Amino acid sequence: MSDYRGTIEKRLDEGWRVGTLYASGETVRALLVSPHGATDLADEPVVDGHARSIVDIAPAAAWSEREAADLYGIRFDGHVPLRPLVDHDLDLTRWTVPVRGNDAYQVAVGPIHAGVIESGHFRFHVVGDRILHLDARLFYKHRGLERAAEGQSPDGGLAFAQRACAACAVSNSVAYAHAWEDALGIVPTPELARIRTVLLELERHWNHLNDIAAICAGVGFAAGNSRFAALTERARRLNESLTGHRFLFDSVSVGGNALSLTLAQVAQASKEIETICEESRAAWRQLLFNASFQDRLPDVGVVSTDDANRLGAVGPAARASGLADDVRTADRRLAYEGFEPVAPKRTAGDVQARIEQRAVELLQTVDILQALLDAPVAPCDAVSGDREAAIGIGRVEGPRGATVCVVERDGTRLERLRLHTGSYANWPVVAHAAAGTLLPDFPLINKSFELCYACADR
Amino acid sequence: MLTLLRDLRRLRRTISLPAPDRGRSLAIRHVDAGSCNGCEHELTLLSSPYHDLQRYGLGVVASPRHADLLLVTGAVTTRMREPLLTAYNAMPEPRRVAALGDCALGCAVLGLPGELAGRVEQVLPVNLRIPGCPPTPEAIAEALLAYIDETVERR
Repeated sequence: MSDYRGTIEKRLDEGWRVGTLYASGETVRALLVSPHGATDLADEPVVDGHARSIVDIAPAAAWSEREAADLYGIRFDGHVPLRPLVDHDLDLTRWTVPVRGNDAYQVAVGPIHAGVIESGHFRFHVVGDRILHLDARLFYKHRGLERAAEGQSPDGGLAFAQRACAACAVSNSVAYAHAWEDALGIVPTPELARIRTVLLELERHWNHLNDIAAICAGVGFAAGNSRFAALTERARRLNESLTGHRFLFDSVSVGGNALSLTLAQVAQASKEIETICEESRAAWRQLLFNASFQDRLPDVGVVSTDDANRLGAVGPAARASGLADDVRTADRRLAYEGFEPVAPKRTAGDVQARIEQRAVELLQTVDILQALLDAPVAPCDAVSGDREAAIGIGRVEGPRGATVCVVERDGTRLERLRLHTGSYANWPVVAHAAAGTLLPDFPLINKSFELCYACADR
Repeated sequence: MLTLLRDLRRLRRTISLPAPDRGRSLAIRHVDAGSCNGCEHELTLLSSPYHDLQRYGLGVVASPRHADLLLVTGAVTTRMREPLLTAYNAMPEPRRVAALGDCALGCAVLGLPGELAGRVEQVLPVNLRIPGCPPTPEAIAEALLAYIDETVERR
């Protein structure tokens, strides 16, 4: 038996993190990622339906193990209790944490929410207004995309990764394309890297504007919500003018780029981004000088640096807690030379830190876009130049954090697809952040992460 | 002020505005039955200053008990089938259902057959179909307003 747990323990001690964990045939496979972007796979054979758990050393792998247990019937020894995640057929006591004591009761919310929100169920264990514990039951939107993609060609499988989520369509698609290119031993040319980086940053651009609007909505500040919602609309119109789709659908392909943009289009886009940026600065000032809005943000939904690391937080949420974790820092397949993650002034890990993190990252995104939108874009192809492999790995920094895609192949046939998105990684962190806070603060805490349900449920 | 309002009302009567402009409203309850989040993001922007659907009397209400229209997005997953039916059964008569987006209409749906209950029409009677992947806020607004006009004219 290989030293599965030993390898993982050693890597974690060296500062590596668990990227994802999934079942593949008779194996449980964990992907480990170094702070410099190197990756390593650790395999654990499944014997008589059993495999060893790693949740005691890597709590970040908890959801992945629970998913593998539900969908592939693997029993993880040492993962006690192994609560269902995707399986909804079990009674309440099986999937909730028992909370007992004087006056403790439950508040059930969802799966259908009061506004225009995706479907998911939250079960709050409270005393009065104080949340003692939150059990989030998602996967109401589980469409079985990973399993449905099996047997597809590289191009055929792309739709499954992309349509997992509209808000992260480019991140998921580029992670998928990188995974296949890694497996096929091909590398992007600088031109291909440039256009993909532009698309990724356009996605981050509208998402960050949308997320700031969502936080305003979370505290009921209609003026701020309206201004940032209007900017989100402009950003989506910009997407449409460049790629023909407001969510940039079908703009990414495996092994190349089919998009072409004239110099005039690129120049106009650059100008529009500048205008949106100026207006967002003005809108941000309005937020800064609104005392009743600012009062709602600090010390709410705090996630410490240790907890962020332990629970596997990624993206702006992790950086707001003081983790300098950003896939763009060490990316070799995209145009992020010299990129450094913005370090927040205040790493308090609260709602305020998370909204401020988005505001500063938005400026960084504008800078990257302005620098890269300096030449027309023409269709181009990736070139061979790397070793082929049976398993390809793609990692991309999406608007909500690292999106990991693993492709296992048989020739050019997709054998196993694993898509571990930023939202999937961060949902357990939301539940953790909610504990100890007040029930009426939950919408705000939730909005400060602004995670997709679709990305997590797949 | 009151005089002004009365004059305005008289003016409206005398110049005979088209029927729908004389007063229409629609209370909408949205249910995400398994979408990719695209339809939700476009629906959210319907209340942004660019579209501001409330000015036409269209609003999203918190409970299906207050709704005239159930606006369903996504191909219905097996896990959302029951909640969708519960929401529909909670609505007062007359109740209408709109299927929003290509997935809800059953076009090019991705996923495992075992995890999906099918397009909205296989679960509920559908009165209004709004295609698109996702439909733009303009397309959603146009479809909803045209639907109200049609319903008012039939009355």
